[in-house]
Amino acid sequence: MNATTPLTPLDGIRVVDLSTGLGTYAGRLFADLGADVIKVEPAGGAPERAVPPLTEGGLSLAFAFTEAGKRSVILEGSDADRAEQLENLLGTAQVLLTSEGPGRLRERGLRPADVTRRHPALVHVSISPFGLTGPWADRPASDLTLLAAGGLLALAGDPDLPPVRAWGNQTSIISGVHAATAALIAVLVLEETGRGQIVDVSAQEAVAHSLENAVQYVDLEQSVRHRVGSGPVEAGTGLFACSDGWVYLVGGLGGLPLAWNAITEWLEGAGVAGAATLREPRWLARDWRRSAEGVRTFRDLFERFAAPRTKRELYEDGQSRGISIAPVSTPDDLLASPQLVERGFFRPMTVDGRTLAFPGSPYRFEGLDVAPGIPPARPGADTRAVLDALPAAARTTAHSKE
Amino acid sequence: MSSRLPLEGVRVADFTWVGAGPFLTKPLADHGADVIKIESRTRTDPIRSMAPFRDGRPGPNRSGYFANRNSSKRSVCLDLKSPRGKELALDLMARSDVVASNFTPGTMDRLGLGYQDAVAVKPDIVYLEMPMQGNTGPHRDFRGYGLTIAAAGGLLGLTGHPERPPVGTGTNYPDHVPNPLHAAVAVLAALRRRRRTGQGQYIELAQLESTTNVIGPALLAAAAGRRVDRSANEDGAAAPHGVYPCAGEDRWCAVGVFTDQQWQALVEVLGAPEWAAKPGHTTPGGRWAARRELDALVADATSTWEASELADALSAAGVPAAVVSDAAQILADPQLNARDHWKTLEHPEMGSSVYDNIPYRLSETPGHLRGPAPVLGADTRDVCLDLLGLTPDEYEHLAAQGVVG
Repeated sequence: MNATTPLTPLDGIRVVDLSTGLGTYAGRLFADLGADVIKVEPAGGAPERAVPPLTEGGLSLAFAFTEAGKRSVILEGSDADRAEQLENLLGTAQVLLTSEGPGRLRERGLRPADVTRRHPALVHVSISPFGLTGPWADRPASDLTLLAAGGLLALAGDPDLPPVRAWGNQTSIISGVHAATAALIAVLVLEETGRGQIVDVSAQEAVAHSLENAVQYVDLEQSVRHRVGSGPVEAGTGLFACSDGWVYLVGGLGGLPLAWNAITEWLEGAGVAGAATLREPRWLARDWRRSAEGVRTFRDLFERFAAPRTKRELYEDGQSRGISIAPVSTPDDLLASPQLVERGFFRPMTVDGRTLAFPGSPYRFEGLDVAPGIPPARPGADTRAVLDALPAAARTTAHSKE
Repeated sequence: MSSRLPLEGVRVADFTWVGAGPFLTKPLADHGADVIKIESRTRTDPIRSMAPFRDGRPGPNRSGYFANRNSSKRSVCLDLKSPRGKELALDLMARSDVVASNFTPGTMDRLGLGYQDAVAVKPDIVYLEMPMQGNTGPHRDFRGYGLTIAAAGGLLGLTGHPERPPVGTGTNYPDHVPNPLHAAVAVLAALRRRRRTGQGQYIELAQLESTTNVIGPALLAAAAGRRVDRSANEDGAAAPHGVYPCAGEDRWCAVGVFTDQQWQALVEVLGAPEWAAKPGHTTPGGRWAARRELDALVADATSTWEASELADALSAAGVPAAVVSDAAQILADPQLNARDHWKTLEHPEMGSSVYDNIPYRLSETPGHLRGPAPVLGADTRDVCLDLLGLTPDEYEHLAAQGVVG
């Protein structure tokens, strides 16, 4: 390394990533920060490679997103050979990442207590659906069932329809950000004391941690929050239709009419018939703004104004008046967002033979390139390079089978 | 087990408030960092006045919304607009390892507490800001909340039933998941780098950019010319897959069938209804093609089941299934309670109240909730005297002027 190249935050950390879909985002965060993340895939590649939506070449775009910056290894030879190679690989790593329940880990020879006994200077980050202990530890689970078991699902959806899950594999994100936080705390301890440990992350608990104030409502006010469609019901706040979709407007929050005058002036300036009625004193009363009639009256007025205007027009015009308004962005809107484009958020990266705008990191470190570094590897692309660099004993085993 | 907490010795000057910041400093505090919240009596953290309140009665020290995200922290009140108040804040930064804030761009600079000011008193400081849109760009001054960031960031628009307007998560998701916890990851990684290089770090977390990462695959799909849209509870890899009605009012069970084995198990648990034997339903592809029809049939079969009995039976048979638990059920959840997920802490004004425990355990150096949320300004005197070295007389003098206290 050039002496003037600044060290990335996680330079020198090696992560062995044996995770399934639930755990992959945590590894991606480590890779962005400069760790050497080695995804160990089963022969033929991880099944997550085929989860839609797919590229034209058939690669999962969700997989591409979480695997950027990682290397891919497929272990070789007999079961015993592969187990030995994995042990040797773990001997070179500071972090092991898995995302299955305790029963399945035991079957794979990856019981965390055994792994960390064999490798005392290893942090075993075990993300699992329900954690390593408790009566449900080995229950089968999926993204949807974990959102249900963690309480987030009940808060989402229209009251007259079944609860609805957040788009994408959010339990991987929720578990991933908590797991990466926990793993870094353990890495700090490791580098200070030389001691590894088990980090036991429960996806159900991580989801339960994200319920906003719903649990405290039960505890302090004995009231249970239920799903309320697209948001709290208050005049001036919520989703409003416009010419190319919706905007989200926050005219009042927590009972306070934050931007009422600015919104009224905006509508009056545009010549919206009836806009002046928003100046009537009753709009200052929280009860009126939360009444069905108040909500409907405001909606009629605002949507008359918004109907011929675009999301972007309303966003930029409203914000210039100090009003908290946002477009309900589609992915295409985001790719064209003047803000994201101007800041160079998207990075060109070749995925499955095609150059795509790849979303950048969640954060920027001044003076450092902290970002998805390399495109997702083909299955086993780095097997040779990684195995050849292992201690001699493992190399012999691998090569003797060729 | 070591009794020493893993982040002992780390001090955080915490200027974050409302939603997105405090869940960043909570895990640090719960693992031993000395997190000192800098507050103000004249501009009180708005979340201190947000419901729910103990017994429904508002008050700056009665909000459960505030309390849950501020366990294990200390609170000092400083008037940052007064020269002496600003000096004390800089003194605090000089004795800290991390500074965190989530104000609008330029606010800390205008207060004389920006990165350059901090570096002048603490050259190796890790300094994180969380502007909504970022410190640069045409929208840098745009304002918003968690809900507007969820809209602008794309998660809201993708979540819901395709024939209805989008619904999102029903929470300020960006404030609770991506923004604070990505920030925690960044701060810890920067601390690790500082230990190796001796160098501090400026970190900018633009909440819009952090939030868009939760729909990263959809952005890549759009870049590849593939359209992604709302699809309720559908899943590309499973069918049946959804939330099915159970006995009682508004009771539901979430179920996902990903393999043939799980399909067989589901059929058996539901009493092998005739429709399940249809030849088209024997393959994953066939079930996926028939998913709408299957949803209706499964819903019909589940509607007489008690939700938790169905979830237990399906789980025992190897099918991913769970009751759609509301907040009251979550508090009584057997698995969460077996893992001590809920923590009752004694607060001076709120009495015994429930906090989220840490959603993970470190086997050798576990964190724990060391105390309830601080009463506004509870630690001003201690911090001023013991940490910043004020004499009792100086302190009383400044308190009388409203600079501290």
